[in-house]
Amino acid sequence: MKKMVSKIAMVLGVSVTMLACSKDEEVIVVPVTAITVKDLAADTVTGIGADGRPQSANSVTYYSLVDNKVIAAADAATTKWDVAFTSTKILVNSGTSGPGLGGGFVFKGLFDELKTIPNDSTFATDNANASSFAIPWGSGKGWYTYDGLTTLVNPIAGRVLVIRTAAGKYAKIEIINYYKGGTTLPATASDSDKLTKQRYYTFRYAYQPNGTKTF
Amino acid sequence: MKKSIYLIAILGFFASSSLFGQMRFVKDTLDANGDSVVVTATRTERKLSNLTVPVTIINAKTIQQNGALRLTDILKEQTGLNLTSGFGAGVQLQGLNPDYTIILINGEPLVGRTAGVLDLNRIALGNIKKIEIVKGPSSSLYGSEAMAGVINIITDAAFGAPLSMGIRYGTYNTLDANLDTKLSTQKIQYQGFYNLYQTDGYSIRPNSNSRVTTPIDRYATTQQLKINLTNKTSLVFNTRFTKEQIQNEIAVSNNGVTIYSIGKEDIKDANLSASLNHRFSNQLKTSIRAYATTYDAIQNLLTINGLPYRDVLNHNFKRIENQTDWDLHKNLQAVFGVGAVWEGVKSSRYDSEKVRKQNDIQYAFTQWEWKPINKFTFIGGLRFDRNSQFASALSPKVSMLYKLNAKHQFKLSIGQGFKAPDFRQLFLDFTNAAAGSYSVFGSAQAQQVIARLDALGQIGNLFPSYYQLKALKPEYSNGVHFTWDWKVNAKTNLSTQYFRNDIKNLIESQQVGTYISGAQIYSYLNIGRAFTTGFEVEGQHQLNEKWTLSGGYQYLVTGDKDQIAEIKAGTVYTKNSQGYSRLMQLNEYVGLPNTSKHKVQFKVNYNSPKGYYLNARAIYRSRWAVNNNNGNEVFDNGDVFASGYLVFNTAAGKAFKNGLSVQAGIDNVSNYIDAANLPNLPGRTMFLSLKYQIQHLKK
Repeated sequence: MKKMVSKIAMVLGVSVTMLACSKDEEVIVVPVTAITVKDLAADTVTGIGADGRPQSANSVTYYSLVDNKVIAAADAATTKWDVAFTSTKILVNSGTSGPGLGGGFVFKGLFDELKTIPNDSTFATDNANASSFAIPWGSGKGWYTYDGLTTLVNPIAGRVLVIRTAAGKYAKIEIINYYKGGTTLPATASDSDKLTKQRYYTFRYAYQPNGTKTF
Repeated sequence: MKKSIYLIAILGFFASSSLFGQMRFVKDTLDANGDSVVVTATRTERKLSNLTVPVTIINAKTIQQNGALRLTDILKEQTGLNLTSGFGAGVQLQGLNPDYTIILINGEPLVGRTAGVLDLNRIALGNIKKIEIVKGPSSSLYGSEAMAGVINIITDAAFGAPLSMGIRYGTYNTLDANLDTKLSTQKIQYQGFYNLYQTDGYSIRPNSNSRVTTPIDRYATTQQLKINLTNKTSLVFNTRFTKEQIQNEIAVSNNGVTIYSIGKEDIKDANLSASLNHRFSNQLKTSIRAYATTYDAIQNLLTINGLPYRDVLNHNFKRIENQTDWDLHKNLQAVFGVGAVWEGVKSSRYDSEKVRKQNDIQYAFTQWEWKPINKFTFIGGLRFDRNSQFASALSPKVSMLYKLNAKHQFKLSIGQGFKAPDFRQLFLDFTNAAAGSYSVFGSAQAQQVIARLDALGQIGNLFPSYYQLKALKPEYSNGVHFTWDWKVNAKTNLSTQYFRNDIKNLIESQQVGTYISGAQIYSYLNIGRAFTTGFEVEGQHQLNEKWTLSGGYQYLVTGDKDQIAEIKAGTVYTKNSQGYSRLMQLNEYVGLPNTSKHKVQFKVNYNSPKGYYLNARAIYRSRWAVNNNNGNEVFDNGDVFASGYLVFNTAAGKAFKNGLSVQAGIDNVSNYIDAANLPNLPGRTMFLSLKYQIQHLKK
């Protein structure tokens, strides 16, 4: 799998953060960088079955937000990975998915404006047995909608995936699109393109290594 | 198949020639000044120039010269009207969906809607005298569905030639054959109409050999009999029967794998009405009308691999009604009506195709027309509908006409319209096994069904919306229409209309809970609020005795009020060109899907005294939103639009003195195709038609 990683320096407005705090508090501002991951393959389609549905190897792509790299599937049962992708399903390293301290929820709002994870937030864990995942899976439930007419998957605008990593630290993710090349295919794209170019995630994320909930 | 047409035509010819011993040819109901008579606007006969509400009349000549075969053909060329596709061809009136326009034939409603849409291709135009379109809420006279307006298709046994036969053939082996027989004497007027329509359908979608419009066989017959028992009493009978068969072999290929299936649809539609009319005096008349209609649709889909799919719908509607018109004074006229409806549906989607779901309605209405001075007319009306399955509805309406002078007149109408919850919203019991096993339950039984599932331990969560489930209220619309008619000169007319409809209690599906598996459970609640507003301009100019130009324009703005409130509150997001989310601004909002901001049509018409005619029509519709592609459920500039389009249609012909007429036409001359968004628009099609009519039979 080829992947391109580009870094976008996103220095949080120091002055703004300082203004928001009272004077007698010591402010430790750790600049968090937003990283964009492009075309991360996640159980790509290998063909089409006799029932007309896409076929694939049912593989899972494990990813470390800490190290910004793909983790081998052999390490699925370790805490080396933080999030994992398989078609439209996104897993966190917890519960039935992994042994880590992972968790997550979907925040409604803007990536840049989520500067502190609200204290009353509830992090859910994965429970595949009950079909319940920290990042809810299904059209309109979590990060995407599926359009039956155009057969395209579209990320929902204004959704931030708040992730607790395998080690119990925090990150935020915005899914940009689901198609190879970094843009969602047009509605008029060929069936063949819609089939073979799907399941390539482009997303941006910010990871806070100091353990706080502030980005 | 084609043999049968000739047989019908020949048999009909012999049958009718022997009938028409004494023939009386009756002209169109125009008064001395050429003013048309309209019945739909007030449920009484009124001259067009005296109406207080906006009405469009499409007469038989226009229908014939345009080469329009089905109701859809002529409606799409009207100002303010757009056709919708999906569940058949429906009509959108001033931005409101097909659910909100009632379709009448001789004043009686048609039933058999699928997802709120009545397929207007069901209606053949071969024997129509005229079509009247009333814009604006008209529930004060017609009850449910008359929220955006009323389309009334009028046939008249006393109108037109005593015998006519027509045959037309065109692209895609589309064949239409008509036989119309009439008998008109002082005592009896009879019309028998037979129509056959066949088409091979067409495929305009690439990568698929399945046809967008499938091969169809349609038969229709209508019979009308008027008997003048005395000069004060008459009896009128109407029957209509249509039968439609659609068969489609579908083969979908995807990456070399092809799936075959066969779809078959049988639709039967029958209407029967009888009315007894009596005039007590010049001031008082009454009529009793009985009407029954039934609509049956059976769909079967067989797929090579997969379970057969069967969908059955039987909808029947019976009504008895009395209307009394009483002219209390030369300036004051009143109409009183009472009626009862028994309506029932059996469907495989509601419990079982054997169980009949029933809704009974009793109603009463009154209308008062007051003309204090010659220049001013005021009409007030009120109707009350009592429903057995949902809340009652009260529909008031006031309208007025002011004739400033010979050139200018103004109309204002303000009314409330409603649409009753339909059977699907009340009784649907549907679980989609193919996609996530979600369920949709009609509101009348959702709580009961969910409680039963809960007792079995199948319910995971119940949402607050579950506890809000209650008897559905009708959807309401408040409509305001202001019209300015300007007779510029003897050759030029202009009509400008402002309209606004505010809709509340929109019935929308809403998730009310989840199964223990996480699958969603939906039901219907009165939650939405929306509006449509804009203006229309229509004009006509007669260049000389042969050439006429006419045209119309509609500007339309629509919106979901709750969505607008959310955008204003800053809780709606969209995506920028890089795919990053950002806050959506109100000026990016484009309103309701499937609505276009601009619609224009223009027509050039030539009619020579020698019987030659030619017309060319252009219709333009600007882009409309079809799909949301950023998951915000709100339509903005970043979403998927169908592009605006321009279509040209033309027809020409000649009517010979001996009763023969020929016509040729080309529809969609520039061959515009948009398979995804305009499945009902085939590419360029051509036709040729021949008609023979006997104007006068000699003794």
